[in-house]
Amino acid sequence: MRWLPAFLSVCFAAGSLAAKKSTEVRFKEYHAKSLSSTPVKLSDASYRELTSTPRDYTVAVLLTAMDARYGCQLCREFQPEWDLLSRGWIKGDKKAESRLIFGTLDFSDGRDIFMSLGLQTAPVLYLFPPTVGAHTAASPEPIRYDFANGPQTAEQVHAWIARHTPDRPHPTLKRPINWMKWIVTTIITSGSLTAAYVAWPYVLPIIQSRNVWAAISLISILLFTSGHMFNHIRKVPYVAGDGRGGISYFAAGFQNQYGMETQIVAAMYGVLSFAAISLAIKVPRIADPKAQSVAVLAWGGVLFVMYSFLLSIFRIKNGGYPFSLPPFM
Amino acid sequence: MSADPLHVLANAGKGQSTRTVLRVIILCLIAAAAIASRLFSVIRFESIIHEFDPWFNFRATKYLVANGFYNFWNWFDDRTWHPLGRVTGGTLYPGLMVTSGAIYHALRTLTIPVDIRNICVLLAPAFSGLTAFAAYLLTNEMTTSSSAGLLAAVFMGITPGYISRSVAGSYDNEAIAIFLLVFTFYLWIKALKQGSMLWGALCALFYGYMVASWGGYAFITCLLPLHAFVLICMGRYSTRLYVSYTTWYALGTLASMQIPFVGFLPVKTSEHMPALGIFGFLQLLGFLDYVRSAIPGRQFQTFLWLFTGGVFSVALAALVVVTSAGIIAPWGGRFYSLWDTSYAKIHIPIIASVSEHQPTAWPAFFFDLNFLIWLFPAGVYLCFQQLADEHVFLVVYSLFGSYFAGVMVRLMLTLTPVVCVTAAVAASSLLDTYLSDKSPNPEEYHPEDSNDATSKKAPKAGLKSTNKPVVGIYGFVSKGVIVSAMTIYLLLFVLHCTWVTSNAYSSPSVVLASKMPDGSQHIIDDYREAYQWLRQNTKEDAKIMSWWDYGYQIGGMADRPTLVDNNTWNNTHIATVGKAMSSSEEVSYPIMRQHEVDYVLVVFGGLLGYSGDDINKFLWMVRIAEGIWPDEVKERDFFTPRGEYRVDGEATETMKNSLMYKMSYYNYNTLFPPGQAQDRVRGSRLPEVGPTLNVLDEAFTSENWIIRIYKVKDLDNLGRDHASAAAFERGQKKKRPAKRRGTRYLRTE
Repeated sequence: MRWLPAFLSVCFAAGSLAAKKSTEVRFKEYHAKSLSSTPVKLSDASYRELTSTPRDYTVAVLLTAMDARYGCQLCREFQPEWDLLSRGWIKGDKKAESRLIFGTLDFSDGRDIFMSLGLQTAPVLYLFPPTVGAHTAASPEPIRYDFANGPQTAEQVHAWIARHTPDRPHPTLKRPINWMKWIVTTIITSGSLTAAYVAWPYVLPIIQSRNVWAAISLISILLFTSGHMFNHIRKVPYVAGDGRGGISYFAAGFQNQYGMETQIVAAMYGVLSFAAISLAIKVPRIADPKAQSVAVLAWGGVLFVMYSFLLSIFRIKNGGYPFSLPPFM
Repeated sequence: MSADPLHVLANAGKGQSTRTVLRVIILCLIAAAAIASRLFSVIRFESIIHEFDPWFNFRATKYLVANGFYNFWNWFDDRTWHPLGRVTGGTLYPGLMVTSGAIYHALRTLTIPVDIRNICVLLAPAFSGLTAFAAYLLTNEMTTSSSAGLLAAVFMGITPGYISRSVAGSYDNEAIAIFLLVFTFYLWIKALKQGSMLWGALCALFYGYMVASWGGYAFITCLLPLHAFVLICMGRYSTRLYVSYTTWYALGTLASMQIPFVGFLPVKTSEHMPALGIFGFLQLLGFLDYVRSAIPGRQFQTFLWLFTGGVFSVALAALVVVTSAGIIAPWGGRFYSLWDTSYAKIHIPIIASVSEHQPTAWPAFFFDLNFLIWLFPAGVYLCFQQLADEHVFLVVYSLFGSYFAGVMVRLMLTLTPVVCVTAAVAASSLLDTYLSDKSPNPEEYHPEDSNDATSKKAPKAGLKSTNKPVVGIYGFVSKGVIVSAMTIYLLLFVLHCTWVTSNAYSSPSVVLASKMPDGSQHIIDDYREAYQWLRQNTKEDAKIMSWWDYGYQIGGMADRPTLVDNNTWNNTHIATVGKAMSSSEEVSYPIMRQHEVDYVLVVFGGLLGYSGDDINKFLWMVRIAEGIWPDEVKERDFFTPRGEYRVDGEATETMKNSLMYKMSYYNYNTLFPPGQAQDRVRGSRLPEVGPTLNVLDEAFTSENWIIRIYKVKDLDNLGRDHASAAAFERGQKKKRPAKRRGTRYLRTE
């Protein structure tokens, strides 16, 4: 007669699924689940059950779409953070003093829920506050987390949840030590140190070469003064279409620019500087009179035409600018 | 004896004393030009203080002149940041006010009656003349060419990159700080070249003055150690470097710690650590230098290794302990935003909201520096020719300066001096080469032996391009072409500078100018009109709530207490104002009552098309408020579901109910025929029914509606809430739920 208890328990389990379970029972059940694996993977039915009222516990549910078909970049970026957060929380709160359950509902498991909530985008994070018990919130409506500012870190979400679950323990979030990163860093460092030691006699003349340093300095100055940092900070597009199928190289407006535009400008500055350097340093050292006068006229011409071009470009950026030089009037 | 006037003229520049006289005259003319080009705004408008921060500096200067130095030093200002107040004497850089106060008293002693306002207005142009002179001195340390210094002085005097911050009326810290910056650098180079303690001490003195004047002193604090470090790395450690650096650091740090606002920062915060680190490093090098001269070579090797290892580990351990114990503060927010450029955007909305902290697009560089921008790399390249200690300084400064100018628009100002100096070096090298009346004789040229000459003496250390000996320029044509081209560029530069100064940098922004259809100038003076109204029609201690941009102006021009101002020291208080502006009336009213607000001031440009108004700044108020109360103010609610920021009929409910929106558009539609109300900044048509205001009364609206002032209503006499009181006034009867009578029944008891 050993099958009887087993049979009975199965019957009871089925019966309890069918009947509406009390909030305490539900919490115990899902907490046990989350102790084995958190966040709890939900389906239509379990989502409804978990979030049904009355409840004396808090539920944080991430509605996501992980399947590659939906191409949700943000979902995939946030998923490891979410796992990390929920695992850290449950681990730090084994006795369930914070009465919080983490769940994940994927679109492929919970199409109806997505439909009924009228969700067009993913991921969406809801926090369902308790409706009965010690921590009852003013409104039973779930609180929605704002994903508007791009990918979120576990710390930000942790702070958000902690803010909405006052006077309860908030297990601290600890990121696991990334051993792989440490090992890779150590190997790379030691490798590059060795390489540097071996190559030192060959590298030293380059390091001490004035020409190299002059080149580095000039290139970085040209990059900085042609607005490279602006591109870096604002993440401007490289080029943009002009609306007629062509490419517009220069952005309209004084406070705006494209990546390619700055490269063109840097090149122009470079040519102008190089012409000035040649005229100041190289040309007076040409001993051949004829070659010298040709060089003077050539560099002088390049300088003049390029400066004229630069002025004409600047007039595109700044409409009212009155000055120009021939030939680009 | 030649009475020939041509001959006299030709010989005029030859004698030493004539040259000196000429130089003095030229420098005086340059100073005059520098001052004159900054007077556009005084001539066009009047002698008036500009913009925002200068109004505070002006107010502080008036306080200093009226109450004396010690009262100024201990000044607690209870008329700003109501109800907190501000320890103004301890939270400002006093250099600017003390300078103008000293000038004022000096002129009074000389019995020259002068208004303190005129001193404040004209201080920046006067100091620009001195800056030009400092640039002249600095450049003369860099090159032997006699014209480079004068060119640098001209460039410095009229380049828009510096004028932008030093026109007459722009009475800000930068007005004197740039002079101090350039002059400190000059003294540093002088001290380094001579290894002189005297020059080092002078450098420290001016550094102290600089610290007292501008927060940008950190630029010097970081640049000088960097220069010393680069020199050490190049193997150029010398006793000269030791003496000059240690003198500067020890005295300069002591001097800077005398400023209450700076206090112990120089030994605590990270941005001052490089200077301290290099100071320690130099002591070690000095010690090693001494030991090497005292003990034999082999023992020195062992000693060196042990010593270096020991010092390194001790220093590392000390750093870890000190940082983890929290004695050294982490990187300051404003400074940190220079390194990690996305840091400020995420963590400190108030920094991101200031337009001066935006990165620089390339047109701004050309706009501010014109042809200097391409002479600049050429000048840096010329520095590599000799590469003495002072040229290393120029190279380091150029790299450092151009990086920071690229990251932050405002730091264009610190880049400008080095651009002027290096560009002057390049321009003078061009002009010296092509203006020289000596020409080599073409007949001396022998093609066959030129190859020998180069192969024989190719210096190994120098630049590749300078291996061959200088010959000179042969033809007159070559000289003529280049000289005339340079003249054109220089003339164009002068025209450009004048045009930029006159068009872009000479607007007081307190007074706006516009052109009438017939070309005559029309002055829009709404700001002063409104501030004058406040001054004359409100109580002496009426508290004005406005966004922080206008705090200094209200304090300076209307002389009324404000809640927040441009000294953004308390983010929470600013966020409180932001919350009051961005919430509905029911939420805002208690906030305003708690802060004893009497009047609310908003800037609205919709009628005139003035784009710098509060609705355009509104999102920053929302963001800053959201940073403190993320549950009550949400940026998302101010955007339509399609992600647009709208003010017309499609605006979100939160937007329409916000106090800022209501104050801006209250009664605005009465100006137009029904349904025609239009906002000329946002270019959108407004809903036919304007917003209603229950807790505020419109008190004043300026001529062009730029400034609107509202009075906060007192509590209702009958204890109603304002919404129902206003509804009663409008004649809307309060809707009562109709009493439903139950079915009648007969009592039968």
